[in-house]
Amino acid sequence: MKLKTILAASVATSIGIGAVAHTGATGIVLERMQAMSAMGDAVKSVTPIMKGEQNYDADTVRKAAAVFEEHAGTAMTELFPEDNANEKSYVKDAIWEDWDEFERIAMRLETLAQGLSKAADNGLADEEAAQADMGSMMGGDTASMMGGDASGMMGGGSAETTLAEMADMPADEVFSELSRTCSTCHTRFRLEKD
Amino acid sequence: MRKLLITAAVFSAAAVIGVGAVIAWPVKNEVASIDQPGDPQRGAYLARAGGCIACHTNWEEGGKPLAGGAPLKTDFGTFYPSNLTMSKDAGIGDWSVQDFAASLRQGVSPDGEPYYPAFPYPFYRNLSDQDIADLWAAFQTVAAVDEPAPAHEVGFPFDQRWGLKLWRGAFLEPPRTKPVEGRSEAWNRGRLLVEGVTHCGACHTGRNIAGARVLDEKFRGYDGLPGGGKSPAITPEALQDGGWSVSDLAYALETGIMPDGDAFGGSMGEVVTYGTSFMTDADREAMAIYLLNEEQDG
Repeated sequence: MKLKTILAASVATSIGIGAVAHTGATGIVLERMQAMSAMGDAVKSVTPIMKGEQNYDADTVRKAAAVFEEHAGTAMTELFPEDNANEKSYVKDAIWEDWDEFERIAMRLETLAQGLSKAADNGLADEEAAQADMGSMMGGDTASMMGGDASGMMGGGSAETTLAEMADMPADEVFSELSRTCSTCHTRFRLEKD
Repeated sequence: MRKLLITAAVFSAAAVIGVGAVIAWPVKNEVASIDQPGDPQRGAYLARAGGCIACHTNWEEGGKPLAGGAPLKTDFGTFYPSNLTMSKDAGIGDWSVQDFAASLRQGVSPDGEPYYPAFPYPFYRNLSDQDIADLWAAFQTVAAVDEPAPAHEVGFPFDQRWGLKLWRGAFLEPPRTKPVEGRSEAWNRGRLLVEGVTHCGACHTGRNIAGARVLDEKFRGYDGLPGGGKSPAITPEALQDGGWSVSDLAYALETGIMPDGDAFGGSMGEVVTYGTSFMTDADREAMAIYLLNEEQDG
C-alpha cells in the first residue's frame, strides 16, 4: 500500500518535472522552474477557496502555505546564483543588481507563507468587514489623515503586516498580500514571455 | 527662377505664420468654478484607481508618495512623471482647483502649456466635477516634497510642445460619461471605470506613430509600452479564449493571480499592487463585467 503511494507520488512528480523539462531548461534553471511550478499549483489549489467558490478547507490552505514556505526565503534566493547570469532564462539582470531587494521580497514571502498557515483556521473575511477595512486602509482615521500624515491614504508607507497580525487576519487577506508579493517580484525581476 | 524664390518665400512665410498661430492658439477652455466640498477619502480612492499614486511615485527608488515617478522610456524620449505634492515650488501646492481640473480633464498646465499624452488625461476627461473636488481634497493631504521631478528628455521635433496642439486637434475624443441604456448598472459602472479613471486602454490599445491610440485596435494589446513592455489583448473574445471568467478577472485585479496559477509580472503587477487592489470588490467586478461584456446585475 505504502509502496503504491510512493510510486503514485513519484509518477506524479515525474510528470510535473516532465512538463517543465520540456522547455529545455537544465540545472538550476530547471530547479527554479520546478519551484515556481509547485507554487503555481499551490496557488491554483487555494484560489477557488479564497474566491468563495469552493467550501473553505483549512487543511488545503495549510498545505499550500507549506509549499510557499518551502520555496521562499533562502530556498528561493539560493536558486539565483549570479554565475548563471548568462544562462537562458526569464530572469532580469536587475535581480543581481538589486539583490537586497530580491532578498527582502523572498523573505517577505516566507513570512507571509508562515502567516497564511497561522491564519488558515480563521476562514474568509466577511464581506462587510472587508469593505470597512478598506476604509481604514484608505485613511479611515480622518484626524491623522488631515493632520499632514496622509501616509496610508495617498500612498505612504504604512507599516508591513507582522506575523502576529497575520495570525488574526482572515486567510484570504493574507493570501492576497502573499500573491501580490509574487507579482511584485515578477514585475521587478522577471522578463515577460512573448 | 525669381518667381520660384518668391513662391518659396511666400510659402515659408505662411508656414511661419501658421506655426506662430498654432503656438499662440489657446487650447485651455474656461473652467467653471468647482465650489462643492470634496471628500478626501473618495478622492484617495480615485487617486489609487486612476494610477496617480502608482505612476507619480518612484516605488523602486523608495521615493516619497507622489513626489515624482520612475522615468518612462518611450520612442519619443524619456518622460518623468511630475511632482504632485503640495510643494508650492516643486509640486502643485500653488494651484487652484480650476488649474487642477484643467490639468486632468483638458491636459493643459496652469500656464496653458499642453501636456504630453504619456499623461492619460484623455481618459480623465470623463471625471465629474465631484470627482475633481474629491481628488483635490485628497491631494491637499500630501506632504510637500520640495524637489522637482526632472524635465522630460524629449528630442526634436517632439520637444516642440506646440505640436501637441495639433495632436489634440487630431486625436482627442469627447468624454463618454452618459450610461448606455439597456445595460446593467454594473456594466455601466465598469464602463465608467475602464474607459475613464482606470484607463485600461492606455496600455492595452495600440498606438500610432504619433503616440495616439488607434481606436480600431481598442483593447487588442500593444507591444510598444514604455521600457519595451508588452500588453496582451483584453477584448471580450481574447479574455474568453484565455479562459478568463468575470470572477477570475475581478480576483486578478485584487491579487495579481491569473487562471493558470501564475502571478502578473510587468507593469500590470504595479497596476494591481498600487492601484486596483485598493478598489472595492464591487468595482473590480464591474470592470470585469464590462471588459468581458457580460450582463450581471450587481
